[in-house]
Amino acid sequence: MEPLTTEMILVMIMIGIAVFLFIVEWIRVDVVAILMMVSLPLLHLVTPTEAFIGFASNAVISIIAVIIIGAGLDKTGLINGLVQPVLRIAGKSPSRVIIAISVTVAGISSFMQNIGAAALFLPAIQRISKQLKIPLSKLLMPIGFSAILGGTITLVGCSPLILLNDLLAPFHLKPFGLFDVTPIGLALVASGIACFMLLGRFILPKGTTDDDHTDIQLEGQDNLPALGEQYELHTPVDFTDYREPVTVSDLRQRYLVNVVAIIEPPDFKVTSPGSDIEVRSDIDLVVCGKKKDVTRMAEDEGLLLKEDVDVFKDDVSESTSGTVEAVVAPRSSLVGKTLNQANLQDQFRVTPLAIYRRDETYRAEISNMVLEVGDSIFLHGTWRRLKILQEERSLLFTTPVDVEFMRPEKAMLAGFWLAVALSMIMFFKIQLSVSLMTGALGMIVTRVLSIDEAYSSVDWRTIFLLAGLIPLGIATEKTGTAAWIAHAILNTIGTVQPIVLLTVIGILSTVFTLVISNVGATVLLVPLVVNMAIAAHTDPRVAALVVGLATSNSFMLPTHQVNALYMGPGRYRSVDFMKAGLVVSIVFLVVMIGMISLIYGV
Amino acid sequence: MAIITISRGSYSKGKEVAEMVASKLGYDCISREVLIKASDHFNIPEVKLIRAIHDAPSILERFDRKRQAFVAFIRSELACRVSTDNVVYHGLAGHLLLKGIPHVLKVRIIAQLEDRIITAESQRAGISKEKARTLLLNDDQERRKWTQSLYGVDPWDSSLYDLVIHIHKLQVNDAVELICDAATRDQFKTTDKYKRKMDDFAIACQVKAALVDQFSEVGVTSHFGNALIFAKSGDRVGQKLKKRVKELNNEIKGINNLEIHFGLPLPPDAV
Repeated sequence: MEPLTTEMILVMIMIGIAVFLFIVEWIRVDVVAILMMVSLPLLHLVTPTEAFIGFASNAVISIIAVIIIGAGLDKTGLINGLVQPVLRIAGKSPSRVIIAISVTVAGISSFMQNIGAAALFLPAIQRISKQLKIPLSKLLMPIGFSAILGGTITLVGCSPLILLNDLLAPFHLKPFGLFDVTPIGLALVASGIACFMLLGRFILPKGTTDDDHTDIQLEGQDNLPALGEQYELHTPVDFTDYREPVTVSDLRQRYLVNVVAIIEPPDFKVTSPGSDIEVRSDIDLVVCGKKKDVTRMAEDEGLLLKEDVDVFKDDVSESTSGTVEAVVAPRSSLVGKTLNQANLQDQFRVTPLAIYRRDETYRAEISNMVLEVGDSIFLHGTWRRLKILQEERSLLFTTPVDVEFMRPEKAMLAGFWLAVALSMIMFFKIQLSVSLMTGALGMIVTRVLSIDEAYSSVDWRTIFLLAGLIPLGIATEKTGTAAWIAHAILNTIGTVQPIVLLTVIGILSTVFTLVISNVGATVLLVPLVVNMAIAAHTDPRVAALVVGLATSNSFMLPTHQVNALYMGPGRYRSVDFMKAGLVVSIVFLVVMIGMISLIYGV
Repeated sequence: MAIITISRGSYSKGKEVAEMVASKLGYDCISREVLIKASDHFNIPEVKLIRAIHDAPSILERFDRKRQAFVAFIRSELACRVSTDNVVYHGLAGHLLLKGIPHVLKVRIIAQLEDRIITAESQRAGISKEKARTLLLNDDQERRKWTQSLYGVDPWDSSLYDLVIHIHKLQVNDAVELICDAATRDQFKTTDKYKRKMDDFAIACQVKAALVDQFSEVGVTSHFGNALIFAKSGDRVGQKLKKRVKELNNEIKGINNLEIHFGLPLPPDAV
């Protein structure tokens, strides 16, 4: 074994720092990646060119193109269009509903980001839960897990697999093809769904339907009992006489009633007014609240409660405005901020009505609550303003608000360009990044989406995370650190069967992906396992593939973006993920190793 | 239309002052009945409540949740009682138990030790001068320790009060006049806003008293009858707390909305 050099020690320290920062999350994961990108050349562990080569990598370009293609498909409603036929096929049986949606989500997830596929189906699943009276907690976890598993069906399904060929390049190993992983991916999806079909009743939380479990209902503007309904009131002519001014925020604090529209004298209509807007004499206002609270307010403040919304009937009608549930997205800029700091009311002119967090509805004093990933915020506003907020991408809307902004007429074109990209990869064997970028460009040129929409759809955090960690992989390999660690591990465990080695790698990748990001785990582990496999006379490509696949084995903690997204609406607790996730993770490892040994003859 | 608390050392003529102020203003004068009511309401022997609010806690007792619970019971009873307004309270720690209520006139009556010894001798038959001195010094010491351990303040700190009157050159009648004059000033008048604040305080105190036995660490605020319970996260305790809170809506009058906020920092005005 080679002696340990100073460079190797430095690389190990940098890996240690990266893993530590990934776990403690003092700074965001993408910032950790940038830190690596900058410090590695400063320490002379990589050249400046190598430090930034990640941005020009196939993986990063492929991810950008996949995101743009996904946004294009989303924009035309092509995927939304799948929902209805799938539901028709599913019928009313809970098992069939789970299978049909899971298979569809897994299919979509195989060529777009997992989180995108999961978010797309959330509103439909919520509707089904209510219509068929199936508890949401019984539906969301199987479907969410399928979205993650679907990422293993093709080589563009998830970031680790997209990254795989780039990480294999320094070893001069043959790259994987787009569908090389498909048999394994399909087996994983099938086994995941089977797990829930056979063991669902034991591993899923009991839960109840939305109707009796919580008093929040998720769609339909006339059907939000916990948040109440809309009422129009009129203030008397002497409302402001001999009293302290009453503001919109006073009414909210005192009566838990939200003013969603108000007249500013003489007759200027304001929807979703700011919290400091004063309620004047002899004006009309529309509030959203529970009847008992609104009645109490009317009595205490001497307001006239009208029978119907009259003055504002066009401004707060269902066609112009409504209430949506929006989930705080993983890595959202809102995480760690209060609603007061986020200032949604002033920035976007939407009114937060309530927050739903871990089985608890919060209506009072919500403006000072520090937001967490998975919190559901109920927002009221005009569809146009809600759409602007949605485009800002810090919140994932579980209720569609974009009817008027869709471009359904471009659906065929979007489908065509996806087919072009896929055929370039499959039949003409053109490189992944070139083929996918062609598809993305095609969508932009044919105006499926504008170039600005394409740019804004790209999640730069993912790009920097990928590009920033690639030099760490290069440094690990170049300095011989990976080879050294691989030998050290092999010396410790002695000679083992290839299948045992692959299982150990699978377990190692699973543990890594749970505590650090899947991309981080892949970048750190691929050079390591390739060296281990070479030393142990096992196929290094297969070892790398195990890492690429097993980094999707992220079910036991709500750390994966999809799990974090479904945790709030599904009202899951961490323990629910541990219970179901443990079973699915074990099945995942067994099926993956089984399929690999079957296909690659290990 | 005011709430007056009179804090006093033993035999400082504070009781006399309180009774005369109440009689002059036509207010209710309350002291021990708060303890009796708390004793009835929460089914705790009065002597235990007195000990909880009078004796300084020993080192072990500082970790005893019972004492906190007893103080919460007394505070709840006191808050309900004074929320009816026009009250002079001269019991123990009124100014601290009603902390945060803006229109409470907080008075401290002090007297020279020698004068207090004389009063003690005259009021308690057979007590020697020395014994009276020891008794008063011990009593003062206990009070000091009690307020310091529970509220981290010294009862002799004059900034805790609006008015500190030394009964020496100024006599009881002078003190009564000064207090009555202060009580009628605008800042101590019970406006609608202050009344609402007092009602909210009483609600928060009642909710806290109802929960403190099982969930000693919760904090409670109320704003216009919207009570918020601040609790640490924790699935098992959380479920129990939720169950208990559901029953409270019917037990306590004046609550419009009751929510538990898990894992949020305790606001400074929480009881």
